[in-house]
This record gives sequence, C-alpha cells and structure tokens, in this order.
Amino acid sequence: MAEIKSVIGTQNKKGQTYTDTWKMMNEAPRTPSFFTGSEVIKEALRRASCDVMIAYPITPQSEAAALIGELFAEGYIGDYFRGESEFAVMSQCAGSAFGGARVFTTTAGPGTMRAMENFPMWAGARLPIQMIVTCRGINSPLSIQPDTLEIAYLLNTGMLVWHAETAQDFFDWILKGYMVSEEPDVHLPLALCCDGFFVTHTKDVVNLTPADMCLPPYDPYRSPVPCMDMECPPVRMMRDPFVMKSNYISYATHASWQQEIWAAVERSRKHSIHWLNGLIDTENTDADIVIVASGTAVSQGREAIRLLEDEGVRCGLVKVKTLRPWPEEEIREATKNAKHIFVPEFNVTGWLAKEIRASVPNHQRVHAGPHVCGGMTMPPEIIVSEIKTALGMKTFSLAGRGS
Amino acid sequence: MSKERIQISEALYDIMPSDYQDLVKSATYGKEDRGWKDIGTSKELIEQHSLCAGCPESMAFRYILASLPNPEDTVMVGSTGCTSLVFPMVAVHNIHSLFGNQNAIASGLKRALSVRFPDRVKDVVVLAGDGATVDIGLDMTLQAWFRQEKFTTICFDNELYANTGGQESGLMQKGFVAKMAPVGKLFDKVRLPEIARESGCHYVVNCTVSKPSLVEKVIRNAVHIAREIGPTYLQLYTPCILEIGKNSMEGLQEMRDSEKPSERFAYKEYVSEPAKQLLTELAAKDKERKAAAKQLAAQAQAN
Amino acid sequence: MSDYRVLPGPEHFLPPAAASMGIRLPNPGEAHINGVITSEEAAYEEAARQFLMAKVPTIFPGPLVLWAWNEKAAKKATAIRHLFNTLKECVQPGQKPMLIPMPDYRPKYPKINPEVEINPNHPNLTIWHNKIDCCIFVGVHCHQANLSLKIIRGGTSCYTIAMCAQAGHEDAMLSIRDTSVEKIMRLADTIKRLKGTVQPRLASAN
Ligand SMILES: Cc1ncc(C[n+]2csc(CCOP(=O)(O)OP(=O)(O)O)c2C)c(N)n1
Ligand code: SF4
Ligand SMILES: [Mg+2]
Repeated sequence: MAEIKSVIGTQNKKGQTYTDTWKMMNEAPRTPSFFTGSEVIKEALRRASCDVMIAYPITPQSEAAALIGELFAEGYIGDYFRGESEFAVMSQCAGSAFGGARVFTTTAGPGTMRAMENFPMWAGARLPIQMIVTCRGINSPLSIQPDTLEIAYLLNTGMLVWHAETAQDFFDWILKGYMVSEEPDVHLPLALCCDGFFVTHTKDVVNLTPADMCLPPYDPYRSPVPCMDMECPPVRMMRDPFVMKSNYISYATHASWQQEIWAAVERSRKHSIHWLNGLIDTENTDADIVIVASGTAVSQGREAIRLLEDEGVRCGLVKVKTLRPWPEEEIREATKNAKHIFVPEFNVTGWLAKEIRASVPNHQRVHAGPHVCGGMTMPPEIIVSEIKTALGMKTFSLAGRGS
Repeated sequence: MSKERIQISEALYDIMPSDYQDLVKSATYGKEDRGWKDIGTSKELIEQHSLCAGCPESMAFRYILASLPNPEDTVMVGSTGCTSLVFPMVAVHNIHSLFGNQNAIASGLKRALSVRFPDRVKDVVVLAGDGATVDIGLDMTLQAWFRQEKFTTICFDNELYANTGGQESGLMQKGFVAKMAPVGKLFDKVRLPEIARESGCHYVVNCTVSKPSLVEKVIRNAVHIAREIGPTYLQLYTPCILEIGKNSMEGLQEMRDSEKPSERFAYKEYVSEPAKQLLTELAAKDKERKAAAKQLAAQAQAN
Repeated sequence: MSDYRVLPGPEHFLPPAAASMGIRLPNPGEAHINGVITSEEAAYEEAARQFLMAKVPTIFPGPLVLWAWNEKAAKKATAIRHLFNTLKECVQPGQKPMLIPMPDYRPKYPKINPEVEINPNHPNLTIWHNKIDCCIFVGVHCHQANLSLKIIRGGTSCYTIAMCAQAGHEDAMLSIRDTSVEKIMRLADTIKRLKGTVQPRLASAN
C-alpha cells in the first residue's frame, strides 16, 4: 500500500500522472467527446496503467482490441500481442496475471465459449484480470449480432460480472473495475459485459477524464495469494497445488476454497457500491409497474416508460449494474411496491428474469419479457405492448412475433 | 529473487521446519556452476514427492532442478499429469492452471516478467507430459514457438497418459496396445523434435534422463539459449514403469535400452546458427571464469 | 445487518463462509469481533482476554513474516517474537503458549508433523494435536488464511484471531486489519496490561 501511495503524483514514461483513482474519476474535470464504444474502450485503457493486453479478432470487439494495439505502439501498454485462439488468450492472460501484471483482454460470443474452461480457473486462482465481453450470438447458425446469452454462462464461474448500458458506463467501469477487482479481499477477475454493436459501434457523447492522468499501478504483493515471480515467499510454492488427494480432510479444503471464491464475490459488494454508487440505479420505484433490466435493455425500458407516461401509465425502472455480485436485497427493496415486474432481455432464455424470480417474494409478479434475440432490436413499443397486455389494456398488434 | 532475499526472518528462524533451515543454509541458489554434482552435498530444491516408487520422472526432476542455471529467478510452468504431484514440492515458484495450456501460460508469464523486471533476468521453464505437450496442448506448444517466445519447453515423454491410467497418446509408439488403443496404436509416434525445429526452436534435444551430466548440459544450454535467443525444446524419455509393466528398479535399464543408436531415444540434437554462436561464447566465458578461479586459488596458495 | 455470528465451532459439516452469511469486513480503523464491527481498541482488549484465558494460546506466523523478503517482514517477525515472549510472561502456570509456523501452503505427503507446523489444507490436525483453544494468524496470505479459518471453525472449538496486513478476515472470530509492527506491539502491550485480571480456563479433564 505504502508503495502505491508513493507513486501517486509521479509520472509514467508517457508523462501521465499516477492519480488517486477516486480523485481522477470523481473530481477531475471531464471533457465531452463524441466516440464509438470501441474508441471509448481505447481511451479507458490509455488511462488504466495496463501491463499486458492480449487480443484475438472476433466481431464486435475486434476494433477495440486493435485500437489498444495502437496504444501499445504509442507506449501506453507494457506488452501486447495477438494470441492464437480465445482459449490460448485467456491462458496467456492468466500467465501474465500469475506473474503480477495488470491484464486486459476483450472477447465476444463464440470467443467467450471457446475460452470457458479458463474462467473458473481465473477465479479459483484469484487473478484480477479484466475481460470486456461485447455480447453476440453463440449458437449455430453463426451470428455476429447482439445477443446476451453468453452472460448466463459467466454467472457461475466465480468472476465478477457487470453489465454496462452505455459507452459512458464502459469508460468509467473499466477504470473503476480494476479498483474493485484488485482489492485484496476481492482479487477476482471481472467480466465487463455490454451488448455488442449497440454499444461498441454507435457513437455517443462520453465525458472523459484528463488524458494526462492514469491509475496507480497494480501492486501484486497485496494479493491474497503469492505472486509467481520469485520475489515473494513462500519459495516452495505452486499456484495452485492439487488439494484433492484423498487424504485427511482435503475435500474440505477444496470446498473451503470454492466458498472463499464466492465469499470474495460477496466482499466485492462493499467496493462496488462505493465505486459504482450502488449495484442498481432506480427511478420511480413506488410505481405499480417496474421494469428491471440490464445493458441496453435499460435504455429501451426507459424509452418505453416515456411512451407509457404519455398514456397515463406510471412505471418505475431498475437498472441492474452488477450481475455478480447479485443485488438481491436491492432488487427486492426496489420492487417491493410493484404489482408487476417486467424484464426485457436480449436473449432467448430470459436468464435475468430467472434470477429476479428467485430473488423476490410473490415471483408470479415477474413477467419474463419481452425477449428478442439473434440481433433483433427491441423497439420500446414492444415493451409498452407487453405491459399493456398484462394490464388488460388494449394494445396495437406487433408484426413479426405471431400472436 | 537474489539469493540474499531467500532468507528466514532471524526472530523466527528457530521455529522453521528443518527442511527450510536447510534450504537457506545449503541449497545452491545463486551458485554459478551449480549442477547434478551438488546432489548429495547440498539441499535439493525438491523436497518429497508422491510419484510411483522408482518412476524415472523423479530422477529427471532432481537432475533438472539441480541444473537450472538461475533457480532464484526462474518460474516454472507445469500441466496436469503425474508431474503436477511433484510441483508443490519444488522450491521454485511454479504454476499449474489447466491441462495443456502450459505454453500459453508461459507466454503470458514471460511477457509479464519482462514488463515488470526489464533490467533483470527472469527465466521461464515449462515442464509437462507428452499428452499435454503434443495432444491437447499442441496448438499452444507450436504457436509459442512460432512467436519466438523466449522460454524453454520440456516434455516428459512417457509415451502415454499416465495420470489417467495409461491411455494412448500422440507420442506413443505405433502398435502399442493401451487403453483407448484397443487394437494397438494405428499411427506413428509424432515427430515433435523435427516439428520443433521447423517451428522455430533454436535448440532441440531428444534423449533419456539416464545420465545426469547430459541432463545438466542440455538444461543449461536450453535455458541460456531461450533467455538470449528464442524458444528451445527438450524431449526427455521418462518411462512410465507402472503402465509398461516394469518394476521400480527397471526404469534406468529401460532408458538405457531405448537410447541405443537405432532406438527412438538415441541422442538427437539440433542447434540453430545463432544458438551455436551463443554456446561458443558461453563456453569461452566459462573457460575464462574457471581459469581466473584457478589463478586465484593458486595465488591464495602462494600467499 | 446479518444476525449470523462468527463463533467457535465445531459449527457444521461444511460451515459457510462468513461473507456469504452477510458478515462484512471492517473499514480502515475498525475491527470485528464475532462478525460485529467494533473499535480496534475493543478488539485488542478481547484478543488479549482470549489469549490470557486460553489453555494453549498459540501464534501461527505465516510465510509473509517467516521469510525476511523485505525489511518490514523481518521487523514484523521480531514483533511477533516479542508478542510470544510477552504471552509467556503473562500466562499462569498450567497455560502453555505455543508458536507454530505455517511455513507454506502445499499439501504435504504423507502428512505434516503437527508439533512443528500447521498446514492450511488440514489445520485442524495441529489444533487437535496440541489442544489449541485460541490461536492467532499473522503473516498468512489472505486466501490461505480464510481456507484455514473456515476449516478450523468447521471442526474444532478453537477461538481464532486474524491479524491481517490487508482488509481483515470475517472467517475469524476476531480480526484486526492493516496490521503493522505497531499494531502487533499494541496487542503485546494490551496483554501485559491485562495480566492477572483474566481468569484462565482451568485445566479440565485433559
Ligand atoms: C481439459 C482436460 N481434459 C482431460 C483431463 C484429464 N487428464 C488429466 S492428466 C491427463 C493425462 C496427462 O498425460 P501426460 O500429459 O502425458 O502426463 P503424464 O501423466 O503421462 O505424465 C488427462 C487426460 C483434464 N485434466 N483436463
Ligand atoms: S504412473 Fe507412471 S509416470 Fe506416473 S508416477 Fe507412476 S510410473 Fe511415473
Ligand atoms: Mg505422458
């Protein structure tokens, strides 16, 4: 800790000043800039004091991953290369994190699935890697279009999973994400998800922090596990030794280990609340109807609420920012007055609705929908229609979805 | 870590298990000409292991750990297999993460260490089984070589999947009957040493671990070349005595039989031109150092 | 606020992680006792009391202080020795303070010697063998400390204290965070101050 503090105020080789993250994110002046989501990822990385970034092309994250390559060429990133597959890339990220580096990578859809074996390993090994997931379809036939099904697979890996709505979220959360996941009591990987194309390929005004300020560097010696660099004890150390040998109570060790990963996810609550100003955002949750959503479904929900208001229907909104840690209490509290809870989602299974159903009393209040998937857009009108139908109000019929 | 930093806190020295007291007193961290001859006179970097009695892997481990030129600044990477039961006992930081991803881990690790310690030598050495190196991990094995990643890959070739009970592997000999090769393996032993050379390795050796002095030589060469020039590959025969039906005393003979000139583990070596040059330079320096030491000793005697 | 309390076990076949029961770690300047946030002052008092009450109060120093990998580590080791010596001076006949290292985290074959070390994969062996009824973890990496603390809570009745250099441990019955040389010395001072005011648990059947 002392080491990090002493770095603050000094400059890196690019002339950026290592800045207290709270000041940088909350007090430093912001410059409005008109950027694509991919460019915003690059700008966040410019300020992240990242040691190693490893890339692999897959739409819709290829542009961001290539732009970070430019940052490397300019000298902002310690090392950068293209791996041979997402499985290899995620293992390469692990190698760098075992060696004490701050690591960044990006992937999407089939890439996430290809790499899946790595994610519980990352979490089990307490590696605070940050991975951007720009969600797209995963099933056959191939689709590069936005679809959030892959997030469902990440929820039980032990990683932190956040779901950004806008490019602004992205910019802020990449930087804040390192602060949460590198806390010694957390020290877990973060999957920072967004809906592909909607966020990555559209331009938006994003308020950027000064380009001459950057995060304090990662200090691997605060890690809850020894860093593998031969600079710290114990010298006789394997990360991670097999504790499954059937002697003594070693099964209990593995069980205790797993519990510790989920305990660390729990501990991230306090830090996430601090940095993200709560795990959820709410608007008008005293209304009878509440929309609960994550990602760009939140934006569509907000628009639907405006349309409903015009018709005299009052509707509240819950934006779920973190899926892991799961804001169970917050959602229960925010929906306690709701007679109807609507969960619009960009995937076919409705995993968010399932999570919410398991969290709130009287779960029959939860309407799992509307759903779209495979790259379809979600016009606010279909949310309006879903709500009005449930309320027994007359609604227009929407083409293309059958009934 | 410099040797000076592998030290027990004075105030708690007396309560440390003797294993660690010995390690700081007499292990050969920082010793310039460490090698297999230190075995028996100094504390070894491997404590105990749970391999089968007489498994040649245990010999191989001891020789390799005695020969690493820079253990105080070496990080090893393993993979799932019989070796992973030894690695917790090794007094060099080491990583196991998944089965077959060892060369990907090592690529990321080596780069992280280069970023974090730009002015220091940090060696990375991979040690994995044949299943890990040639089958499930082949892609990452080769790609690390294509990229010219600067670390050493060692394959403990026991010609089968030992840890899961003796299944067919790519390095198994053709015709061998094993689990999952019920009518005998139908294709040839994969020629990874040749592939390694074509893939950009600067030093490739195929041999057994029957002779500690040879293991010492190839390990030192492989690590030095990887440090200065590019990837190196060692394929070492460590027969799985359990699965080929030998008893614990027969491992050494099995290796000797297999290293005869016409056999598949006859000593084979490839050294690239830049690597040859480096080895010549290193040999010259070594000679100089030994001569200087001799002179110093002679002077001391004269005084 | 959770009503779960982190208490000496044996708690369960597989006791839960305290964090999963809603226990939160103290903020800088605070400590916790049984999962309830308290002042550091209160925690020093309670830790000292538990030590002075115990039949076999034991310090478990871990790799971060056993090895002199930096100056601070060596100084902490000296402070821990001082804590142990203070404890020895302050206990009454029949109490048996111990100082047992956790030198590493590896699974050991065929088994550890519980008289000379504690291992995070089966810390209960050392607790049972030496009849340790109060212990303090110091200088153990947080992940490994939490594994051990849960296993100890699961299978033994030992009172656990964690002096953590980082954010503290909710799986211990009592934890102080941001542990420095000064904080270790302060615990030693508190033990000295409370000497004679605490009734040790009398030696029972054993
Ligand atoms: C993804 C995955 N697939 C399969 C396994 C099972 N597995 C563990 S060790 C092993 C064989 C190891 O063989 P080799 O690399 O030759 O090492 P050896 O045990 O022979 O030394 C296998 C198949 C695994 N752990 N992970
Ligand atoms: S199974 Fe084979 S390779 Fe594994 S330890 Fe036994 S003899 Fe050695
Ligand atoms: Mg094998």
